[in-house]
Amino acid sequence: MSPRGRYALRRVALAVPTLLAMTIFVFLIIRLVPGDPVRTMLGFRATPENVATIRHDLRLDESWPAQYGAWLGGLVRGDLGEDYISHASVSGLLGQRLPVTLELTLFSLALALLVGVPLGVVAATGGRASRWLTATFTIGGISIPDFWLGTLLVLVFAAKLGWLPPTGYASLFHHPVENLRYMTLPVVTLAIGEAAYILRTTRASMQETLGRPFVTFLRARGLRERSVVYRHALRTASLPIVTVVGIQFGVLLGGAIVIETVFGLPGVGKLVVTAINQRNYTVVQGSVLVIAALFIVVNLVTDLLYGWLDPRVEARLGR
Amino acid sequence: MTETALELPRRRSLPRLRGRVGREAGVGLGLLAVLGLLAVLAPVLAPHSPEAIDQHRVLGGLTWAHPFGSDALGRDVLSRVLFAFRASLSISLGAVAIALAVGIPIGVAAGYFGRALDAVLMRPIDLLLAFPALLLALSLIAITGPGQLVTMFAIAAIYLPILARVVRSSTLAVASEAYVEGARARGASHLRTIVQHVVPNAIGPALVQASVLCGFALQIEAALAFIGLGAQPPTPSLGLMLFDGYQVLEQAPWADVFPGLAIAITVVAFNLVGDGLRARLDPRGITR
Amino acid sequence: MTPLLRFRSVSVRFGDVSAVDDVSLELSEGELLGLVGESGCGKTTLALATMGLLPSSATVEGAIDFRGQDLLALSEDERRRLRGDRISMVFQDPAAALDPAFSIGDQVAETIRAHRPVGRREAKARALSLLREVGIADAERRYRDAPHRLSGGMQQRVVIATALANEPSLLIADEPTTALDATIQAQILDLIRDLRRRHGTTVLLIAHDLGVVARLCRRAAVLYAGQLVETAPVERIFEAPAHPYTRALLAALPDRSRPRGALAAAAGQVPDLAAPPPGCRFAPRCPLVRDECVRRPLRTAVSSGHDVACWAAAPAASTAAGEIVAATNGGR
Repeated sequence: MSPRGRYALRRVALAVPTLLAMTIFVFLIIRLVPGDPVRTMLGFRATPENVATIRHDLRLDESWPAQYGAWLGGLVRGDLGEDYISHASVSGLLGQRLPVTLELTLFSLALALLVGVPLGVVAATGGRASRWLTATFTIGGISIPDFWLGTLLVLVFAAKLGWLPPTGYASLFHHPVENLRYMTLPVVTLAIGEAAYILRTTRASMQETLGRPFVTFLRARGLRERSVVYRHALRTASLPIVTVVGIQFGVLLGGAIVIETVFGLPGVGKLVVTAINQRNYTVVQGSVLVIAALFIVVNLVTDLLYGWLDPRVEARLGR
Repeated sequence: MTETALELPRRRSLPRLRGRVGREAGVGLGLLAVLGLLAVLAPVLAPHSPEAIDQHRVLGGLTWAHPFGSDALGRDVLSRVLFAFRASLSISLGAVAIALAVGIPIGVAAGYFGRALDAVLMRPIDLLLAFPALLLALSLIAITGPGQLVTMFAIAAIYLPILARVVRSSTLAVASEAYVEGARARGASHLRTIVQHVVPNAIGPALVQASVLCGFALQIEAALAFIGLGAQPPTPSLGLMLFDGYQVLEQAPWADVFPGLAIAITVVAFNLVGDGLRARLDPRGITR
Repeated sequence: MTPLLRFRSVSVRFGDVSAVDDVSLELSEGELLGLVGESGCGKTTLALATMGLLPSSATVEGAIDFRGQDLLALSEDERRRLRGDRISMVFQDPAAALDPAFSIGDQVAETIRAHRPVGRREAKARALSLLREVGIADAERRYRDAPHRLSGGMQQRVVIATALANEPSLLIADEPTTALDATIQAQILDLIRDLRRRHGTTVLLIAHDLGVVARLCRRAAVLYAGQLVETAPVERIFEAPAHPYTRALLAALPDRSRPRGALAAAAGQVPDLAAPPPGCRFAPRCPLVRDECVRRPLRTAVSSGHDVACWAAAPAASTAAGEIVAATNGGR
């Protein structure tokens, strides 16, 4: 198998125990709730009968390993349990809402890259003015709470100017134009904060790369400066950016959870917040699991991407 | 660092911020000092009681009596911001303090003793790092239910692994230095070596990271309060103010702007300090 | 005949540091000149100044004439067009010189296409033949290899291939073998010699090792602390070194006829270039130092083609006859 293949296999293999450990952690959430989680969950709806039924359903009276085994078995089959308050299937709920969150996070990431990377290159190669400007943008983007920024954007663009709606959602596949109208403010909100991180990473990476001997040699061969910077230096400099994107996706997911609340988007983030408020433990469990798994998968993908891009992956197999 | 056999530097005192710390850090520190004073002196400085409802000033604009305006219940926004800032900042600092208190021993132990202990300690740490930060906090809050105290521990749980890793990295670097071996060769016990030699030299990057994290902790505290899972009313929080402000955004934008501004300025201050300290305390670039 | 390359009183400063001090040197067309000196003596700085690759903190005085045209007076774009086309440079560490993200073949081809309006296929064909010419076995298969898959010697061959891709008139080889194993060093030097013969390229070979220079070059110039101290045919350098520093360099060479002898080292240290001694910079360490040495020695001819800048070696410069000789040299 090629070195890249071996590297890929190793990374996937490493992800599995992490996923498993994460399922154990999520499994423990309900079990660690003080008191009787079922009664807390049902609240005023609790009757001796349905409490007993649900306890039986969730096998709460069995040993923890047995419970975990059964739950894991269900997971593998795609069964995430039942929402005992709305009587919907948790996987169904999540299936409805996951695309919204995915659209929000992926669009934000794309926009952040589109803005952050070129600005980072400019910051690394430009003069004092551009460096100062980008430094300000970076600090601002990192320090401003993204949900506050969201409210400010709503104030300006929805309330004062009336260009875009403050809340609401339409499906991307059924009503693409409407969807874009609703998603613009949330996506821009998240993207600005994210772009600041990407800009910072790009600038640092480009600066480091441009100082390397091979760049001087590129110039010594008479290549145009634009080619040196964008075709050559950027390619080598982009590796750390890939890594940062993976890490930042977690921040992005967190931001999405809050932004969905600000803009009333029917995503997984809003679902988990509502569920925690309602003590709807099975839904909490399912959504935490899905979001965490999503993060692990994205990290795996970026790791694989890094390995594929890095020409020296053979040397790094010992990592 | 060059050392001959004759002149091993003996114990190092805590990294002193001697000399010019840099303009960045200076501005940041100045800002933090002012903010800290505001937080501590909030009860004295606030012109009104933060709870004082005034029907005549509902959604009132900026006036001399109410420099930050009034909210939906006619309460003075400036006073509320001062008290909420005090509360939110305390929680954030508390969270980072806990994270340091727990994370430093773990990181030092893992980096110094290595091998089995390192593996055992770092596994759960790595698992915690596999979670998106906010999600981890939410999971913990799901167990006990929302509240201000839970928020503090939840944020501590987010930052503990990060600090532990940073400390571990710098401990690894320091533990292989000559003066540590020298101390051991002179018969110092592990504990003595760690306390006298390893920790003072390894702690720099952790302090840099911690200062930056204080700002981000404030953001998370506000975010959790905003979505209703953090501090619960009547406990003050900048996040709660932002939520209330968002409800009356069009009529009284100041109720949303000023609490958010407070957060932003504080985070900027912490970032400036952290970045400024980095050159001094983190020469190896462990914190980036 | 106009020399191909001519340094006229070239000085390079980096802020306070005087890296190159009033160096005048010429290369004739087709020549292979060795520029010798220890690390930090300014040889790489001279090379970079010729290429126009000095950092912006550097100030350059004097003139560097390439075919009679002063390079320092050209615009950045004009200089760029000369680089890799008329004047090329080979660096010391081949692994660090090649772009890790591109295949070796592409890097050669790209250098061609940067200066000639040729299509991709044609550039690739030419790159292939270049790779074969520098001795890369199985060039077809290795065309697509990333640089790190090649050994140091192979990498340097690729670097040389990119440098010669457009048949430059001048090749500056800055310590091309220092980073390589001893056995490979000889191969690379021979390669340079063969290529030079085949293409008629003028070569400025920079080295700190006189042995390397002896192997390849007809003429050598010795640099110390940014000053040019001696220029001579290589045999003369070895048989009758005129400058005390050159003699010290020779004495420091390990002598195979005396395997157990201690290496002779010149006493003292290289001067601090931020505060260099006035006049001759070797004076503080020189066994033949005299009062005149606080004045910069003039370049005087010791014999045909053999110049030295030293009051002790050419005391005639202080007489009227010496001044005439010196004046003639300065105008040459």
